[in-house]
Amino acid sequence: MKNRLKVLRAERDWTQAYLAQRLEVSRQTVNAIEKGKYDPSLPLAFRIARVFEKPIEEVFDPEEERG
Amino acid sequence: MKSTDDSLALCSSPQRDRRNQWRITLWAFVWGLSFVVTTWGAKREWWPFGVTLAGVIGTSIFGIATFLAYRRFLQETDELRRKIEVEALALAFGVGVVGGLTYWPLAVSGAVPESGLVYIFVAMFFTHPVGVLIGFRRYS
Repeated sequence: MKNRLKVLRAERDWTQAYLAQRLEVSRQTVNAIEKGKYDPSLPLAFRIARVFEKPIEEVFDPEEERG
Repeated sequence: MKSTDDSLALCSSPQRDRRNQWRITLWAFVWGLSFVVTTWGAKREWWPFGVTLAGVIGTSIFGIATFLAYRRFLQETDELRRKIEVEALALAFGVGVVGGLTYWPLAVSGAVPESGLVYIFVAMFFTHPVGVLIGFRRYS
């Protein structure tokens, strides 16, 4: 599953550490999601969308395969 | 954008994880110490059987406390770390089952000593952290 986490984070000038803190996960988790190595659970995906104030489908694209 | 070093991501761990890991380490240390003292004491007959029995009960309690601390860690850690831990546990369990079922027929046939089965537990014990390291590498 592809996602726009890195782009959205860059637009806000947030570090991985800051985003991880907002999401209450480790920075490794944010890093793995950004790289497409880990697909977050549904609750975490919704939390991510909420943090970026975007609908979940604007953050995650389930149609595309992992890069 | 502020620079981000991906390799440092391995070092990041919420404070609750560190606190829970410290609890596991502490309980595991007490558990191991209790096991060693109880076993050695019983083997060398340092004290009466009642003391050994108390040591066995204490060791069991410390063991349960260690597993409860580990369960708490799994419940409170973030989901990726939980996935890494579960995969590492599966690896360790696999080593134990495969190793045990391979070793046991050999032990029954007398080709190897039955007491050697303890090394399967030792292998399981060391496989888990290796599995965690593999997980860290896989998801970083």
